[in-house]
Amino acid sequence: MKEIALLMIGAALVNNVILARFLGLCSFMGVTTRIDTAMGMGLATTFVITVSSMADWAVQKYLLDAYNLGFLRTVTFILVIASAVQFTELSVRKVSPPLFQMLGIYLPLITTNCAVLGVALLLVEGRMSFFSATLFAFASSLGYSLVMVIFAGMRERLALAQVPQLFAGPPIAFIVASLLAMAFMGFSGMSTG
Amino acid sequence: MLPDKSLVEGIARVVWIEGDQAWCEPEQTTSCGHCASTAICGGKDPGMGTIGRRLELRRFALDNPYALRVGDRVVIGIASRALIEAALIAYGLPLVVALVAGLLAERLLRQDSATLAAMLAGLLVGLVLAHVIASRFAERGVLAPRFLRRAAPFESCSGGSQQ
Repeated sequence: MKEIALLMIGAALVNNVILARFLGLCSFMGVTTRIDTAMGMGLATTFVITVSSMADWAVQKYLLDAYNLGFLRTVTFILVIASAVQFTELSVRKVSPPLFQMLGIYLPLITTNCAVLGVALLLVEGRMSFFSATLFAFASSLGYSLVMVIFAGMRERLALAQVPQLFAGPPIAFIVASLLAMAFMGFSGMSTG
Repeated sequence: MLPDKSLVEGIARVVWIEGDQAWCEPEQTTSCGHCASTAICGGKDPGMGTIGRRLELRRFALDNPYALRVGDRVVIGIASRALIEAALIAYGLPLVVALVAGLLAERLLRQDSATLAAMLAGLLVGLVLAHVIASRFAERGVLAPRFLRRAAPFESCSGGSQQ
């Protein structure tokens, strides 16, 4: 149980997908204007990252490794991710059409989210067991969602703040993001302390 | 005027009128922050998988006592709490069930293939559970979009009016 906890804390906080690995920055800046939309996007991304990582692990072990096709990894993973997004879209549509109408907006955005591919490549390179790989992907995406929600909260407050004209909009958002990244650097001490 | 924080607002365009209902198509914000619609992204015959096709699938009906006409842009709203609960059910529940199934299989069998099968089964069970709970949600009508007002000419789907 201790290994599971360490794996999850490491993936979510110490090596955060957005603030430590700088993946998924497009949605980080684009969909964080409100907390509720950031949470919706975070949950959808969590689902897609976890499901696609499960599929990527299986493809890597039973296809790419078995037939020595490692050079096709990136292309294959992109295909798997696109399929996972389609599967997610289909399943949400079947689970509840009203839900799909409300939440489906996030799904096309996830196809082009490099965090999904980044996590899949990281877990394959880590040579983890299936369960550890899935937990790693799940925790990474939880870290992604956490940062999205924190940043959205900060941007909601920024919208009410008096910001100099020169820094209004994206510039002040980038400054806040850098401060948040520095705050998250504090977690890196956990691995050495 | 500050937006109502209890509602998530979006902009939709009326695409056709059927009796006393107006069918609307949501304008969505793309990851680049721009607005997308079938008029821009899909053309007249959007292919499968295009943004236009996806938006067509998300058309919904609104009661139309407001004399809406085809082409009108309206601001619709849904309770933000309902949206978050819906997202937790649709995405969170299947994942949690899958992870619990995987954890049990890992502890009991310690084989990757068995864990993989258990997690897939857990995911399917979770989706079925989500379907049942989401159906109850839909029956209560909490996920139905509500008409709030007509959109201002330059009102953006990403919130606020563009200058």
